[in-house]
Amino acid sequence: MPLPPASGTGKYFARAAKSIRLIRQGCTNRPFFHISVTHRRRLNSQPVIEQLGSYDPMPNFNNEKLVALNLERMKFWLGQGAHVTTPVAELLGLSGFFPIHPRSYMTAWRNRRTERENLEKQKEAEAAATSKAE
Amino acid sequence: MISHNSILKRTLPMLMQCAEAHRKPRWLPVAKSKIFRIPKRPVISEEERIELLRINNNYKTQMRAIKRFYHEEMIKEKSTLESASSEMSQQLEAEEWERCVKINDTWNAQIAAEREERRKKELQEMEEFALARMEAKDKELRDRIAKASEEIREQKKLSSTFITPENLEEAIDKALANPVDYNFAIDLQGQQYLGRDTPIPTKEQKKAATNN
Repeated sequence: MPLPPASGTGKYFARAAKSIRLIRQGCTNRPFFHISVTHRRRLNSQPVIEQLGSYDPMPNFNNEKLVALNLERMKFWLGQGAHVTTPVAELLGLSGFFPIHPRSYMTAWRNRRTERENLEKQKEAEAAATSKAE
Repeated sequence: MISHNSILKRTLPMLMQCAEAHRKPRWLPVAKSKIFRIPKRPVISEEERIELLRINNNYKTQMRAIKRFYHEEMIKEKSTLESASSEMSQQLEAEEWERCVKINDTWNAQIAAEREERRKKELQEMEEFALARMEAKDKELRDRIAKASEEIREQKKLSSTFITPENLEEAIDKALANPVDYNFAIDLQGQQYLGRDTPIPTKEQKKAATNN
């Protein structure tokens, strides 16, 4: 018996809660995600209702992370009251479909802070090295 | 455990596959080595907490508005779909259909003309190609014939010296009268001594010959 297609079976219960989420489709050490709409209580290994896009988190040759989105269907499922998980909401925020997700802001400022701290540490180390040399 | 019979008799063509099998089952207790481990809580400063609260509130408000917008859109679309069966809309649809058919016909005609042109061009090219091939073949054949005739002419010229039953005796007599010996000996200097019976001079004889 063939497996159900990863692009979705199209079967769903109308009253059940839906969720738009990332579903890992890659193999070991090679993550790749489908953005799919599925029932909220279903496992990620179970057949989905519909695939709405894909996300490749590994930067390619041009240092790009590719995302494909079917915004028409996304609108339809949002109209049906589908929930959106945080990672997908972040992606949609960066693509301009949603407002920027708070977590994107948080990671950004935390990254900036660690970078600043690292720079300061480096400077201190350099200063200490020069004073020792004198 | 699912029985084999139930798999065969299921109504939905679905096969359960558990990919999350690499997790510890829920009913297993905490590992012995981890009993006294207290996970470290993340430390969030007051400033950051307030900022996060603010942007989260903003985000939630905006998302609520967006979700409501799409929901209302869906409802609107549904209602327009239901009202589409009225006479007015049917007429509008018919007009739209007419227009579409007209555009489609013009496009089809245009594409047909293009196709005809392209087909003609392709046929022309094919003919040219075939003619060129035929010409090349003809040329090759002519060359081969010329080569063969040349060969025939040469052989005819040579045929005057052939040995035939008429002059066989004569040729035998001639051969017997002039015996030719193709054997020869060779010395270290590369000198050839033709014939089987040619006497080869010794070193002393050679010296004597040079002195004289």
